[in-house]
Amino acid sequence: MSERELYELIERYHQHQVTSSERAQLEERIASDPAFAQRVQDFKLLTATLQSHGKQKVLRQRLNGLHQEWKAENPVQTRTVAAPTTPPARKTPAIKLFLKQYSATMMVAATVAIVTVFSSLMGMELWRSANKQQTARYVELRREVDALKRKQNALLQDATTTPRASVNPGQFTGSGFALTADGYFVTSYHVIEGADSLMIENKAGNRYKVVEVYSDQVRDLALLQVIDTAFHGFGKLPYSFKSNESDLGERVFTLGYPREDLVFGDGTLSSKSGVYGDTSSYQISIPLNPGNSGGPLLDDKGNMIGVISGKMLGVDGAAFAVKSGYLLTLLEQLPASRLPQPVNLPKTNSLAGTSRPQQLKKLQDFVYMVKVYN
Amino acid sequence: MSSKALVSDADIIEGIRREDESALSQLYKTHFPMVLHFVYNNNGSEDDAKDIYQEAVIVFYEKIKGGTLELNCQIKTYLYSICRRLWLKRLSRSSRFSNGLLEDTESELAHVEEEAEQAEENELKFTAMATALAQLGEPCKTLLEDFYIQGMGMPEITEKFGYTNADSAKNQKYKCLMRLKKLFFTDYQAPM
Repeated sequence: MSERELYELIERYHQHQVTSSERAQLEERIASDPAFAQRVQDFKLLTATLQSHGKQKVLRQRLNGLHQEWKAENPVQTRTVAAPTTPPARKTPAIKLFLKQYSATMMVAATVAIVTVFSSLMGMELWRSANKQQTARYVELRREVDALKRKQNALLQDATTTPRASVNPGQFTGSGFALTADGYFVTSYHVIEGADSLMIENKAGNRYKVVEVYSDQVRDLALLQVIDTAFHGFGKLPYSFKSNESDLGERVFTLGYPREDLVFGDGTLSSKSGVYGDTSSYQISIPLNPGNSGGPLLDDKGNMIGVISGKMLGVDGAAFAVKSGYLLTLLEQLPASRLPQPVNLPKTNSLAGTSRPQQLKKLQDFVYMVKVYN
Repeated sequence: MSSKALVSDADIIEGIRREDESALSQLYKTHFPMVLHFVYNNNGSEDDAKDIYQEAVIVFYEKIKGGTLELNCQIKTYLYSICRRLWLKRLSRSSRFSNGLLEDTESELAHVEEEAEQAEENELKFTAMATALAQLGEPCKTLLEDFYIQGMGMPEITEKFGYTNADSAKNQKYKCLMRLKKLFFTDYQAPM
């Protein structure tokens, strides 16, 4: 069937001008052939649209006519009369429109900003706390003498008084104490490390030159001997050395030179091991400062039980001292050939049973400041 | 506008049904200011308002004519709802940020989804038809318009266009119709 014949047939069909056999044939074909049905449907749509298009065009014209009438009746309301070329002014404020249009974008931006701020704050806090943990570390307590202060003093002296041979206070200072009456002396190894020459000086003003006899880096101990010609012996030592371990909680004290003068400090023995489980040291709760290193640690009865070595930075009240037992072992193991003269340790203890001030009065002459020159 | 006596909704519907020109005029002029105001307030011009208002009126008119009108609110609300919906659709098509610019939160609005869609559909269809007719050229355009729109019979057309007989006029009509069909369906896709 050609397109034209089909159209004529369909047109007649829609206008109800077909024979009953033609109608039956057409309806059957529409039912059985979807492609054919689509063609019929398209034709129907086309003609219907054409027809209603015409109708609407007329209606539109009528409405446009009405619109013109309305416009003529209401000239004030039509803004195109007042301002024919400009588009009608927006009644909604611009800022409101802007907010409406970009609120989603702005919210995303704000969220990103908040997340960034808080994550960077948290990151900084983490970093800071990590740093804080690092500060809890072991430090050796030898004292570096303030070079600047020294220079200033020298300048003042230059300006006010006639120049005289100034006494070099040394690069570093520490503490130390007499081991035997005939000139052996003990301090920490790290105090004299890298020293060219060594001087010791006590509160009474006695100054002697000393030399290193032996040092133990691992236990942080150094054995020195006085070689000064002006030296005639320390005198009878008031303390003795304890070879076995002391008990937890025992009251202990020390004397040392964290500054130019002798400083007393006391506390208790808080642990039988040192940093990182080091069994050669005690942990003690005495406030210590740089310069205390090498000082003697004594118990209530006046027994020498250790040598001050260092403290933990960032941890409250944790200082450490090398046990006297290790000092004694060191002396025993030293071959006699290394020693200029035999070591005669004091046997008696004259401090036991006296009050603390009495003990300190007897002790102070035997505790020296160690000055290191290099 | 206020000087005129307001005609009730039922009278207007009845008037339109009877092809009363004054009823349509009354309807048009009564409700247009409301739509104009709405469109003005939402970034539109008077021409925009006229356009969508006429679309809504056409749907309303044809429903009355077709007898399919189911009006369960005032004509005013009905027209306003259609216009509002049409205008929102246009806005959202013209701007990518305008979703949520105006939400249909007004509960008193009539449910006019069907009407709005029909209006849109009509617009698409008739724009396509108008372009197709314009491309078709003379004398096909006039011939088809005379036959299908003016309802002229084949003998009159034969006479008017000077064909030798009715058969050749018919032949010409089908040729024109086929070309129109081709033009129309390239432009317009019927919704499935």
